[in-house]
Amino acid sequence: MRVKLKDIEFSSPLLTASGTYGYGHEVRDIADVNQWGGIITKSVTRHPREGNPSPRIAETRSGMINSIGLANLGVEKYCNEIIPLLNELQTKVIINIAGSAMKDYLETMEMLESKNGKHVGYEINISCPNVKEGGIEFGVNCEMTEQLTIEMRKRTDKLLIMKLSPNVTRIEDIAQAAESGGADAVSAINTVVGMAIDLKTRRPKLNTTFGGLSGPAIKPIAIANVHKVFKAVNIPIIGIGGIATAKDVVEFLLAGATMVQIGTMNYQNPNLGVQLKGELSEYYSQNKIEKTEDLIGKVEYHSN
Amino acid sequence: MIYREMGKVISNEEIAEGIYKTVFISPNISSSSIPGQFVNILPSLNWRNVMRRPMSIAGQGNDEISIIYKSVGEGTRIMANWAIDEKVDLIGPLGNYWEGYESSFPIIVGGGVGIAPILNLHDVLLEKQIDHCLIMGARHSGEHFFPHEPQNKVFLSTDDGSLGIKGNVVDILKSIYPIGKHPQNTKIFSCGPPMMMEEVRNYSHDNKLDCDLALETIMACGFGICQGCTVERKAETNGVHSYRNRFALACLDGPIFNAEEIISCV
Repeated sequence: MRVKLKDIEFSSPLLTASGTYGYGHEVRDIADVNQWGGIITKSVTRHPREGNPSPRIAETRSGMINSIGLANLGVEKYCNEIIPLLNELQTKVIINIAGSAMKDYLETMEMLESKNGKHVGYEINISCPNVKEGGIEFGVNCEMTEQLTIEMRKRTDKLLIMKLSPNVTRIEDIAQAAESGGADAVSAINTVVGMAIDLKTRRPKLNTTFGGLSGPAIKPIAIANVHKVFKAVNIPIIGIGGIATAKDVVEFLLAGATMVQIGTMNYQNPNLGVQLKGELSEYYSQNKIEKTEDLIGKVEYHSN
Repeated sequence: MIYREMGKVISNEEIAEGIYKTVFISPNISSSSIPGQFVNILPSLNWRNVMRRPMSIAGQGNDEISIIYKSVGEGTRIMANWAIDEKVDLIGPLGNYWEGYESSFPIIVGGGVGIAPILNLHDVLLEKQIDHCLIMGARHSGEHFFPHEPQNKVFLSTDDGSLGIKGNVVDILKSIYPIGKHPQNTKIFSCGPPMMMEEVRNYSHDNKLDCDLALETIMACGFGICQGCTVERKAETNGVHSYRNRFALACLDGPIFNAEEIISCV
């Protein structure tokens, strides 16, 4: 099940999605964090953020919508308090960075780079739908995506992954911009813009009216976007969106993903990583799959 | 320490109209939980929704824990049908717990679905022989499962007057303890529907009484990851963004908050 991104080897293609597994230590009593191929941490920004007012989450059919608003303690505290915790983990760590202006993204990365953390890379959130300044203006614009990627690339030799939004006309164009800017990989998809209304009060179920839909409800959207990106770029893709079972993982691999992230379903089952690892290994042996690469992009089209 | 264990249902009964009590064998959670804490429950192993259901612990001890809940939605309907010996996926104990009752005269006030942590506290106070007053509210007599015993400082209210005192829990408070007529060191502990707790909060504020409230919020994880269960505090942020100061998390900073600490219960 081992896979490589650039020169980094992961024990499995299973990663946690940013914002759904904290910094890995919150679940240590009830889950074996180190069984994951790697964990991607909750977004960190240049300055602390209090996040959006409640209600921030709502359950929907086979999913949930959220509008947390990138609540986090800011990169200074992150360097002092979180990096030491991350350094204790035995699994690979990828730090997710969010921002609003180019300067914020770059300063955040520079400060993290200066800390000699054990993390192997960065995932850059250019697709948060829930804050005005959540980087989405980068994520919907090819030139800005490319420019940000170029500047980030100059500042790190670690893995550089750009996280893409599905809330665009052509995700493949944004993916190509990330590729030409020097990204090592892209991850797709971030949440899909969604809304739910309480019938009694007639108010939106989220304070911010719109939020990001995640969970099994978005899996087909994610598969389609991963496959579109797969046909457009040569760098690896990390598939995200509603994974709940090992079969879901295989579906993402067939669509073109090299690795996957598991998000919303971690809330229901914090030890899902261990379970999926077992199920996936069983799938590989039952179907005589020798290595993950034998599945990547191996979808077979109808011939007519 | 948080545990995830398969609780074995040993009883599951409707104790009042639409209100159920389930007792689980759950040794780790039982031995480590403190009254006021909660568990996050997966209603069934085939649960297709993405969120667990947080429930206050109504009692703990002898390897058992109990919960009390109203059957109102998809999750609680599944729970009401749990069979004896069924195994249920539980995560807990979570959150903070009741404090400050030993040095006070506790008035404990519960209503509707918020009775579980109040009954838990009532049992602790009885066991420790701490003189206190229990007030419970419901819409009508069918929703109560306790006798109205003013002589033992147990008062029930019903909206329709079918049992106990007609009115709500704050009407009881006002009738037994008019403004300024409280025993020394009175402290109010309350859990119930948001509107009820807001009235209790206002009552304690008007009477300058210390008051702790166990709040219920929507919640996904239960241990600080999803950041969805926010409670707004009266935080002096001076316009500077801070983290978990203005927007506290019910799962880690709560579910129990001091009445003067928060903006509102609704």
